Amino acid sequence: MNNEHQLPLILIGIGGGGSRLAAAIHQRYAEPMRIVCIDTDAMANREWSADAIPCLLIGAARLSGNGTGGDAVKGRLAIQDDIHLLHPHLQGVRTAVILTCMGAGTGSGVTPEVVSTLHEQGIATLCIATEPFDFEGPARRAIANRAQAMIEDHVDSLCSIKLDELFNATNEVQLPAAIASANEILASGVTLLWRLLTRPGFLSINAERLHSFIVQGGTATFGTVQATGADRATTLTKALCESQLLHAGESIKKANALLVGILAGSDLRLSEIGEIMKTLRGWCKPDCQIEMGTVMDASFEWRIEVVLFCFESTGAPLPDTKKVSSASPATVPSVPPAEVFHIQPGGARRNKGKSKLAVGATGKGKFQNVEPTIFNGQDLDIPTYIRKNIQLDR
Amino acid sequence: MGMPPIAALEIGTSRTVVCVGEAGEDGKMRITGIGKYPTTGVRKGQVIDLQQAQLGVDTAAMEAEKAAGVDVWQVLMATSGGHIQSNHGNGQIPIRSSDRVVTREDVEEVTSIANETQLEIDRQVLHTIRQTYTLDDQPGILAPQGMRCNTLSFSTLIVHGQKNRIENVVNVAKSARLDVTDVAFSGVCAALAVLTPEQKKNGVVLIDFGGGTTNYVAYTNGIVSAIGSIAVGGDHITNDIALAFTIPLFRAEELKRSDGSAIIEPTGASRRIALPAEVGAAERSISYKALHAVINARMEETLKILRSRLEEAGVLIHLGAGCVLTGGGAYLRKLSELAQRTLGIPCKIGLPINVEGLVDKVEQPASYATVAGLIIYGQKTYEDTGLLSPLRKLIGKVFHS
Repeated sequence: MNNEHQLPLILIGIGGGGSRLAAAIHQRYAEPMRIVCIDTDAMANREWSADAIPCLLIGAARLSGNGTGGDAVKGRLAIQDDIHLLHPHLQGVRTAVILTCMGAGTGSGVTPEVVSTLHEQGIATLCIATEPFDFEGPARRAIANRAQAMIEDHVDSLCSIKLDELFNATNEVQLPAAIASANEILASGVTLLWRLLTRPGFLSINAERLHSFIVQGGTATFGTVQATGADRATTLTKALCESQLLHAGESIKKANALLVGILAGSDLRLSEIGEIMKTLRGWCKPDCQIEMGTVMDASFEWRIEVVLFCFESTGAPLPDTKKVSSASPATVPSVPPAEVFHIQPGGARRNKGKSKLAVGATGKGKFQNVEPTIFNGQDLDIPTYIRKNIQLDR
Repeated sequence: MGMPPIAALEIGTSRTVVCVGEAGEDGKMRITGIGKYPTTGVRKGQVIDLQQAQLGVDTAAMEAEKAAGVDVWQVLMATSGGHIQSNHGNGQIPIRSSDRVVTREDVEEVTSIANETQLEIDRQVLHTIRQTYTLDDQPGILAPQGMRCNTLSFSTLIVHGQKNRIENVVNVAKSARLDVTDVAFSGVCAALAVLTPEQKKNGVVLIDFGGGTTNYVAYTNGIVSAIGSIAVGGDHITNDIALAFTIPLFRAEELKRSDGSAIIEPTGASRRIALPAEVGAAERSISYKALHAVINARMEETLKILRSRLEEAGVLIHLGAGCVLTGGGAYLRKLSELAQRTLGIPCKIGLPINVEGLVDKVEQPASYATVAGLIIYGQKTYEDTGLLSPLRKLIGKVFHS
């Protein structure tokens, strides 16, 4: 079995837009990966199925495969009908990356339910969601806002990308070229994430480290830039600083954690990595944790591509494991994942800086931080079997 | 002009429901649309995250609008929680007329005095429920006008809750751009939907097992005689199971529904329930008996608290029609049996039979008892006042059981 099959990481494309992006990543990655597309439209589903991507047609009994017609309620009901179809794809998964487009029916209706299911199963989720163009009007914007708030309740990290900013970042004037370029930006960024995990260069990122970055919670932004030429490292850092997707460098300055992926050919020089990382280190907060990995690709001779995920969290800081350095992998202290990334019973994880379920010393579980129910001096939020000292033959 | 459609909103601990009802030709209310959404942001009946709770209201209202084909902008709301309490208000006046005949003015005066019972400043009256009159030392008089006595006494049962908590629930609806015309106690609503006049006359207690609270309403001689709420519900069972077997809450909820029982079942005591491999835990199994022991401990305790409340109110021995269980928690297997054993009176599940178009249309209709009752409550309000207007918002009102 390939390494890819063992990766506890899944890519989930939701709706037409999300599935199209997922398919683009699948094609670009060109190797087996855990991936699944979810849609209410049978026609679109057939398209992705043709690319050998597992596709879940949801709400068929309700919508007859005709899509939601932009109705998010229909999308939500569709996934509620068929959420069980997703469960077999989640076996052994610890981290999920969701691609979705907000504002339409399937993306806005389905995504919150999928995120909630993943949260219940203790799977760390990074949701990359596009927001509608301004010209699409306030109604679509309202649907997107409502869906986004519902996603935020359960997602670990939400990377929300305004389509206006994404298309401005393409520097393309004509629509077909702009769309292709926008898709390229998103697809290349996420593909590089997979490559960093499965085909690392001399500096690697492991799946557990990615998991811990995502679990940290909060908002995420991402940008990707390419450069060629002798001073490509300098060009790259300048482009990152000016990237609209990274809000002209503001995202880097505010980040609690940075995930940096560098894709290059065998001509990549250590000094170039040093220059990129030194610049980033200079921009970000002193206590910002940086994780960096490289991917070597022969087709990238003379060229460097950098993808940067900035995680801005209100939660507790990440466990202080390895810091980025230009040292060889052998000198990087490795931390046993099981010790560092322990998942509490109940799939408890930090979410927006607070735990949804913390099983603490009081044994009150989900009632830990609510006003207690006291009766005859007893706290009824503590399980009765504990208070009455009932021995359970588990 | 006929009565307009009535919309009811219940922000439950586990589910938000919006229900629309219209009066049929026979005057009975018919449910024409229901919208529901899993609640987040509410624990034990109390709002802990207004924004999240609002999302549930938004979505449920939208669904109900579509189903009923009406625009929902004004709702009646249910509230519950451990802060809901009841007190008796008492009034007494001498009959001053020479013939000692009780006049209409006497009745109004004594009623007014009883209703003016002072509560703490942070309390909000939800219902003022008529009890009976006492003529000198003769209690249990329903209509004293025209009778003779020296002293006329009257008592009311005042149901009240903490003002801020009630307003927090109302604010959730307001933030979803819904106008709240009235707020009622969930237990009262469930009783309206489920109980029959015969049961009320013979004496009955309705126990509404919700996700975060357990409400009760007892009737004796056709009159509400005890009312209250305990901030313990089905969520506590789920939480107990999750902690006992170190499993996620969703898995605990599944176990409760599929294999749970309020009584430790003697058959299959050695049986084990397989749990799939999940993040952080390998595939394993748990004891059927242990699962039942966890649930039994919680439910028996809750029922014993209810029994003590009913004993304190002096109504337990007057419940000839027994106990009616409703709410989503009533579907827990063997709960009726445990309740019968603990309370010492016959128990059964009660469905919202006093409205049309619900019992045979939804799964677990008992879990809709509160919203169905709110629709009836709205109908009564309209019949009494001809209005479903914001003027009656959050004011104490006399409630005829």
